[in-house]
Parts: sequence; structure tokens; C-alpha cells
Amino acid sequence: MRKFLVVGVFLSVLLALAAPAPAQDTLKIGAPQPMTGPDAPFGDKFKKAYGMAVEEINAKGGVNGKKIEVILEDHQAKNALAATVAEKLIAQTKVLVLTGGRASGQAVEIASVAQRLKTPYVVDHPSADIITSKGFEWVFRNNPTGSIYPQAFNKFISEVPGALPKSAAVVYDNTVFGKTIANSAMTFLKSKGVPIVNDEAYPVNSLDFKPVMTKVKANNPDYLLMVAVATTDAILLTKHAKEIGVAPRAFVGFGGGFGVEDLAKELGPLSQNVFSSAAWSGNPNEPAAKEFYKKFQSKYAIFPKEHEVEGYSIIYVIADALKRAKLTGNLEADREAIRQSLLRTDMTTVFGKVKFGNWAGPLGDKYTNQNIYSLDHSVLAQWLDGKLLNVWPKANAETNAVFPDNTVKR
Amino acid sequence: MTRAAALAAILLLLALPFLTANQFYLHLGITVLMWTVLGVAWNLLGGFAGQVSFGHATFFGVGAYTMMILYLKAGVAPWYGIVLGGIVGALVSLPIGLICFRLRGPYFSLSTLAVAEIVRLVALNWEQLTSGPVGLLITTLPAVSFAGRAVNWESKIPFYYVVAVLVVVAMLATYGLSRSRLGAYLLAIREDEDTAESVGIDTVRAKVVTLALSAFFTGMAGGFYGLYFRYVDPDAVFPIALSVEMVFIAVVGGLATVVGPVIGAVFLVTIGELFRERFLVGHLIFYGLFMMLAIRYLPEGIWGGVRRFVSAHAPARNL
Amino acid sequence: MDTFLQSVVSGVLTGSLYAMIGVGLTVVFGVMRIINLAHGELVMLGMYGAFWGLALWKLDPFASIVIWVPLMFLGGMLVYRFLLRAIIPGGELNTLLYTAGLSLLIANLALFVWTGDYRTIKLKYALAPMRPFGIAVPIPLALAFGLAIVITAALYLFLARTDLGRAIRATSQNPEAAALMGVNVDRISMVTFGLGSALAGAAGVLLAPSLYLYPTVGEILIAKCFVIVVLGGLGSVVGAIAGGVLLGLVESLGAVYVSVAYKDTIGFVIFLLVLLFRPSGLFGVGKS
Repeated sequence: MRKFLVVGVFLSVLLALAAPAPAQDTLKIGAPQPMTGPDAPFGDKFKKAYGMAVEEINAKGGVNGKKIEVILEDHQAKNALAATVAEKLIAQTKVLVLTGGRASGQAVEIASVAQRLKTPYVVDHPSADIITSKGFEWVFRNNPTGSIYPQAFNKFISEVPGALPKSAAVVYDNTVFGKTIANSAMTFLKSKGVPIVNDEAYPVNSLDFKPVMTKVKANNPDYLLMVAVATTDAILLTKHAKEIGVAPRAFVGFGGGFGVEDLAKELGPLSQNVFSSAAWSGNPNEPAAKEFYKKFQSKYAIFPKEHEVEGYSIIYVIADALKRAKLTGNLEADREAIRQSLLRTDMTTVFGKVKFGNWAGPLGDKYTNQNIYSLDHSVLAQWLDGKLLNVWPKANAETNAVFPDNTVKR
Repeated sequence: MTRAAALAAILLLLALPFLTANQFYLHLGITVLMWTVLGVAWNLLGGFAGQVSFGHATFFGVGAYTMMILYLKAGVAPWYGIVLGGIVGALVSLPIGLICFRLRGPYFSLSTLAVAEIVRLVALNWEQLTSGPVGLLITTLPAVSFAGRAVNWESKIPFYYVVAVLVVVAMLATYGLSRSRLGAYLLAIREDEDTAESVGIDTVRAKVVTLALSAFFTGMAGGFYGLYFRYVDPDAVFPIALSVEMVFIAVVGGLATVVGPVIGAVFLVTIGELFRERFLVGHLIFYGLFMMLAIRYLPEGIWGGVRRFVSAHAPARNL
Repeated sequence: MDTFLQSVVSGVLTGSLYAMIGVGLTVVFGVMRIINLAHGELVMLGMYGAFWGLALWKLDPFASIVIWVPLMFLGGMLVYRFLLRAIIPGGELNTLLYTAGLSLLIANLALFVWTGDYRTIKLKYALAPMRPFGIAVPIPLALAFGLAIVITAALYLFLARTDLGRAIRATSQNPEAAALMGVNVDRISMVTFGLGSALAGAAGVLLAPSLYLYPTVGEILIAKCFVIVVLGGLGSVVGAIAGGVLLGLVESLGAVYVSVAYKDTIGFVIFLLVLLFRPSGLFGVGKS
């Protein structure tokens, strides 16, 4: 008898869960993000960023009188689930546009679905080149690609006298993100005749970098380049490098893991002088960016960096496109209208200037609908006294770079 | 399950795409069917033979990559690629079986997991073959006709039928196995392998053949994954989570039954969806709880529970 | 030579911590034939315990072991009594999947309650490593290593010298015979699971200052842990330690001298090779 009770409770819980949420007359934007699993902190960043943008826009009357709404769905950092979630947002929730994705693997899957189901996908953060290099006319990207990330670093070592590395050790995570960036950085270094003394791919979410760093130390590199998509890897890489005693003239981090507040918070003095060639997070000398930082910090008690800026700006890009598109209520026609509208986007956000175009990237990839200003959206920043400050190029610098590093004995 | 009921189920399966216009439900249906193939395939080895493998992702991934590489680099049409994926999966399973079947119980299970991880790492690092972490992406499918009409790859219907055929074939194979001499051998091995040996059963051969069959279907499901989801990278097709999910589907559905895995797949996909829809961050809490409750109250799986209920209230039937 | 020594030291230190995690798992398997997939989450709970102990009560993590170990022992016994005991009759596979569900539950509850914010334990005395003979030895790791030896020695003495320990070993060898000898197998199982949980918690506390805290870190740890435990021989405490140190060494040397990308592969290959020649693991006893 008790079994029947359990089954009955079971089924009624299921039925209760299945009750659909009431539909609202808003302009819907779908955003698959990792809300559980190791990537969850990033999903949360985007949730906050989108939330702030949506609030601001709706407070000013929305878009053409209608409120916008971002619908987040958890894809658990799994490709197949990202596809399922995208299909759901498109077919079931009937969103007008997609954004988000966070990690490149999932973003590629979402892009493939968006392209086939003819829904605009405006990429805010995922950086795999193939997302915009396969000729998908429904996919647009605001942020720079992985091969563009190292641009500011390349400029730094070329323009600052004496900065050209005598040798470089490159340690990167074996994901499409890590590989692309490492590849791009190494290609440039090789073109400048810099010997690559270590080329080490590590499995993402590693627990121990002491062996890698032992190997690196043996070659006594002039520069140590570390790529990490995960904050945990970034923290441990730096910590173990310094513990083992690697002593380059510069520790250079690439990737989201190096550009988040947690790095300085957790590493403390060990983060001093570490460079971060993470993607752009706006020109700090511009009033709009400064204001955004202040507002975000007071609302969420977190200092925003690239993820938050990208998420916030993308909503403005989408809202702008929605405004200019003639929406009739017919879903297919509206999506096409928005796509047309995106092709004509020409605006400035807190992230920077946005205009989508077709052009060739630094490693030769032919981009479609990639932000034409992306090459300018790479900046070299440095962790100084717990703050991440832009140091190169000069036009976007907040302070002078500290180079060579003075925290380790050479 | 009577012949009539089975026939009705197959007809319903084939008619489903025309019963709903909701594309998302069709997508879910396709996903469920793919997981069903995986559950059925795993069940052959795990349910019937009692060899609990935690490394079936090996064959899934091998099948997926075979299909993708043959299509993208050699222009071999995906449907041939799927079958070839299955065959390569089966071939790969032979040396794996020879190594792992020397071990018993949890040692066997963990050795299969080790194999899966080795293969995943090879796929991740052997860039010339697999493009490493960047993965392989299908952007266009070949123009082809079926019964005189061009196949519309933008619709989900052709994919649905491909996987539906896989399901039917896999289940027929399971049914055939359950009635065959090999099936009887497997049950003996499952109960007590040493005794089975002493009675004269060639246990190694039985296990290896079953694994090959299991790997064949798993590999084909992998090929289908590539065809439908269009993108294959090492973490998508070789993760441990996938192997564990397969086990779960077979166990929750009902081990060593023909119908069990279908039920397992339906339940797990839909429950997962429902929870995820309702709870943005906490859905896995409920999913974990659901798993625990299911095992607690239905230790023979859902189908096992149904059968017990039916046989307690009706004359026994061979299910 | 420096590089070689550094690799060996790093490998042994790290490997011993993995071994600590494995010891709890192997003890539980030895007695109950359960593979507890939620073991990683128990370690994670120990880690968070150490963190909150420091954050809320200014307790040094290594000192807080004395609080968390008994608590987790109790918790483990409760989990056995009220959750696992009903599942075990359903078979090994069912029990394993049940613990898989439990692991999802615990990890995601932790994510929900403690959020995914990255946390580390920062100890003032641990900022710079010790450098005996130029080999870097991080202080928390060295402390953990020392304590791990103490705990393992205590465990060994417990199992070898006390009546309860003997009862546990007897049940591990042959539950039926043990029962015939007057051992309350159910009670021993409960104590063993408590013991396994306590060991997991201790491992977590020791590991926390050297790693980072995240609710799903358990799933990464447990993958390593299984290899170690099976490699060493399921049910053998000595095996878990040997397996842990061996794997730590193999991975460290493999990364430095062969390839970083393939270092995990090397570990798995060695794992398979050992099993081929010793199907029950290095110190395993017969077929399971």
C-alpha cells in the first residue's frame, strides 16, 4: 500500500512540474548558460549582467514600448544539452534571439542549431573561431575570437623596448579555447624568432600543476605564458609556478580564468605583476565604462570584468537591433527582420564599438558577421595590488606596466 | 509482451512525427530514442551477461568520430558512416574485451572506465585525425532522395526515422538474444561464471561476442549523434558521465528486459527536462533524489516493477 | 637531477593525499562490497568544513580535524542506517547507482547553499614553500603528508589490534563466517561506513589548504581515487596507500619526462597493465 502512495506522490509531483509557465507579452531573448557544474560561476555572472541591462532598458520604456526579457536555461556545460536547450528556446519558448553559451563547445552546438532553425544568435563571450568562420549567416559575434586574444600582448612585446622574449614557455588547457589562443600566441612568437621552450597542453580542471612547472623550470624560460579558461586552473597555475620557482621576466595569463576578481582575492600577493591578456572589458578611461563599473559594483558587490561587460553590452546590442526591426508578430518574419537589423548594427556599447562584417582573422580564418572592431578589443592588463588595470595599448591604459617582474628571484 | 502489443508500439513509434507539430517534442523524442539505443545496447552486456561496463562511451565516441571523419574527410555519406561507425566500434571492442574480460566484478567495471578515458585522451590529443578539442562540425548534409523525393535535412523527420530504425533493430536483436542459446549462456555467466565454465560454456567467447554486439549498436548510436547534433568533440562523446547515464537508463528501466531501456530513457530524459525547466540552479538536487527514490522503491527497474505488479494481479506472461 | 628530485617529491606528496582519499573508499568496499560513488562528496564536505572552521571560528584547518572526523563518522553511520541499509539487498549495481544519485544530491545541495564562488584556504604560514636542498615543498602539503601518515598508522593499529578492528577485518574476509563467530555484521557495516566517511572527511580537511573549494570537486577527485583503490587492491588499506603513491609518482614523472597532455593516460595504462598481471590489484586478495 505504501508503494502506491509513493508512486502517487511521485506522479503528482511530476504533473505539477509539468504545468507550463504563463506566457507574457515580452520580447524574448534566450540565453543558454551553465548554471550548474564547474562553470556555474560564469553562468551566474551573465545572469547578473543580463539582469542589470534588462532592468535599465525596461525602466526607460523597453523597446518600442514592449518590455524585453532574458530567459536563462542551464546547459550544464554539455554540448548535447546546449543543443536541446537551444531547440527548446527556439521552438517552445519562441524566443526572437539567442545569446550566451559561455563555453566554446556549447556555443558551437548552439550556433549550429540557430543556423538551421533560422534564429539569430548574437554571441557575447564564446571565442572559438569556428563559430563565426563557417559562414553561418544567422550567427553574429561581438567579442573577439580566440586567435585575436593575444593581439595586445603581441603589440606589447613588439613595441616596448627590450620586451621581446628571449624564450617562451606556453602552458595551456586542452580545450578549443586554450588551443586556439596558445596557437595564435605561438604563431606570432615564432614569426618574431622567439624559441618556444615548452609547449604543454594540460587537461582542464587539473588538480596539480607542480609537474608541469617542474618541467618548465628546467628550461628557465624568459616568459611564462599560461592559458586557462577555468579560474581554478588559473589560480593553481600561478600558485604552483611560483612555488616551484619558475622565474621569468613576465608571467602572462590568457583567458577568462586570469581576468576575474577571484584571482587576486585567492592568490593575494602571488597575483602581483601577473599580466592578463583576457579579452577587452571596455576602455576604463571612458565615462560610460566607469559608470557601468560603479553601478554594477554597487548593485551586486562584485567588480565587473570581461564577462559582465560582455553580457551587459550584448543586451544593448540586441535591444538596438530589435528597435530597428519591424516586428509583425510572425515569428519567422520577425527573426529574419532582426537578422537584417543586426547586419546594419553600428553602435557603441560599454564594451566598445560594434559593427558586424566579413573579414579575415590573424590566423587566416574567414569570419562572417564578426565585429569589425575586434582587433581593437584585445587588451593587456596587469594585476597590481589586487586590482586588474589595463597597461597596453597606451590609449586604453590605466597605468604603466611593471616589467620585468620583481616578485621572483632570477 | 504479446506480438500484437509489440506491433502496435512499433506503429506508434513510426507514426509519432506526424502526431505532433511541436519541433521541440520531436527533438526530445529523437533524444529519447538515441538514449534508448544506448540503453538497449548496454543492456546486452550489462543486463543479460551481468558484465557492468562503465566505459561504453568508448564505442559511442569511436562510432561518432568514424562517421564524422569519413564524411568530412572522405565524403562517405553519413548513413554508411553510421553503420561503419558501428562496425569500427565492434572491432575496437575485441581487444578491449580480451583485456578487460580477464577481470571480474568491480575490477572489470573500472578497467572499462580506464579504457574509455585513455581513448578520450587519445582523441583529444591526436589532432591530425580528430582535430583535437576543436572538434568536427558538419555544416551541410548530402542531397539525397528517398522514395523519389528529396530528403529535407532541415526537418527533424528524417533524423527521427533513422534513429527509430536503429531502436527497432536493437530491440529485435535483444529479443533475439534473449531467446537464443547465447542468451541462455549469458544468463548462466551472470549467475555464476565459474560454474558456467565448468559446465562447458565458452564464457570468453560468449562475453566477447556480446560485447561486440553491444559495441556495434553503441557505435551506431554515436554515428547518429554526429549526424543529428552535427558537432563532435572529445568531451561530448567520450565523457564518463555518458557511460554512467547508459548504465542508469538500463538499470532504472529494468535490467535484462527488452522493454526496460525504453522506459528508462523516456523517464530519464523527461524527468531531467521537467526538473531543469522548473529549477534553474537546483534541478540536479531533485534529479539525484529521484534516482535514489527510483532505486529504493523499484530495485528491479520500472519495467521490473510493472511486471511484478501485473503478475501479482494476472496470470504470468513471458515479458 | 634537481628536476628529477622535485618530480619525485611532488609526486609522493600529492600521491599520498590521493591515497588518503582512497583509504576510506577501500575500507568500505572491503567490508560491504559497496563502491561508494558519493565518497568524493564526503571529501568535499570535509574541505568545506575546514574552510568554514577557519572563516567562522578562526580554527586552523589541521587542528579542526578533531571536530570534523567524529562528526563525519556519525554522519556516515546515519547515512548507512537510514539510507543504504535498505538498498544493499538490491545488489551491488543498484547500491552503486544509489550512491551516484546521492553524490548528485550532495554536490548540488552544496552548490545551492554555498554557491559556486571559488574559495581557497589561505594560511599565513603557507605563503612560501619550504626549500630543503632547493626542492620546493609547500608547507600545507607537507603538514598534510605528515598527518596522513599519523592517521593511516592509527587506522592500521586500530584494524590490527582492537577487537572492533578485528571484527571489521573478519567481516571483510568472510561475512558469513564472521557472523557465525558472533560478529554483528550489520553493526560492523554501520561502523565501517562511518569510518570510511570519517576518513573521507579527514582527507578533505588535509587536502583543502593545497587545493581549492568547489561543490563539484568531488567528481574530479573520485575518478583518481578509483584508479588508486583498484590498483592497490580493493579492500586493502596498504594497497590504497601504495596505489596512491605509485600513481602520484607516475603522473608526476610522466608529466615531466613524457608528456603533460598524456600524463593521465600514462596513469590509466599502468593501471590496466597492473591489472593484467595481478587481476585483483597489487595487494588484492583473490577474486572479489
